[in-house]
Amino acid sequence: MIEPVNVALGLAALSAVLSVIATYLAVSDRDLLRALIFSALQSTAYAIIFLVLMAPDIVLVYVPVAVGIYPAVVLALIKRVGRFEGGEGGE
Amino acid sequence: MNEFEVSLSLIVLFSLFANTAIALYGVFSKPNLVKKLISMTILSDTANAFAIVIGYRAWPSPEESPVPPVLTNISGGYAAVQELAQRSVDPLPQALVLTAVVIGLAVTIFLASIILHYHRTHGTVEMVVSG
Repeated sequence: MIEPVNVALGLAALSAVLSVIATYLAVSDRDLLRALIFSALQSTAYAIIFLVLMAPDIVLVYVPVAVGIYPAVVLALIKRVGRFEGGEGGE
Repeated sequence: MNEFEVSLSLIVLFSLFANTAIALYGVFSKPNLVKKLISMTILSDTANAFAIVIGYRAWPSPEESPVPPVLTNISGGYAAVQELAQRSVDPLPQALVLTAVVIGLAVTIFLASIILHYHRTHGTVEMVVSG
């Protein structure tokens, strides 16, 4: 028998592990567009953690900001400064 | 809380610590300014998640969960408020994080415009070649 507290905390732990993987890939990837997508994936995992930790009003603000507006802003920036890290896009 | 729930909570906490470390590494060691911006956003999100974790509370009993700090039963009177205060999580960190998310968006847009002007002036966003 699985208790609801274990289901909720297990979902939070699963999202936390997923966010660690997404953060590592976002920092280590040399393609800035893929790094941005991994950053949005990390934000989605954080939204699930906030939902499990009983903060639904945070989720209502955090999902449009961190998965919608913030990638749009950085995407417009990447389009102008070049997509790849290491001097290929700039110079 | 038994040992399994404690270990699940510790997984969440140590994942947040690991995210802080990885994001700090990205801010300090990556030469690209856009990568620094992405890492700094992850760092601020992790700080917000720590604040939410501080405001959380343990389950009152295995059957009933803690509730969000929203009073849904308006006509319940004093008993409804007392029952909410015994079960709800702390609303103060949630109010602070709600403000911090919006301010973080404004800071992100400001830093993006600064990076764009840097690119127009110097022709690159790499820190090591623009000395």
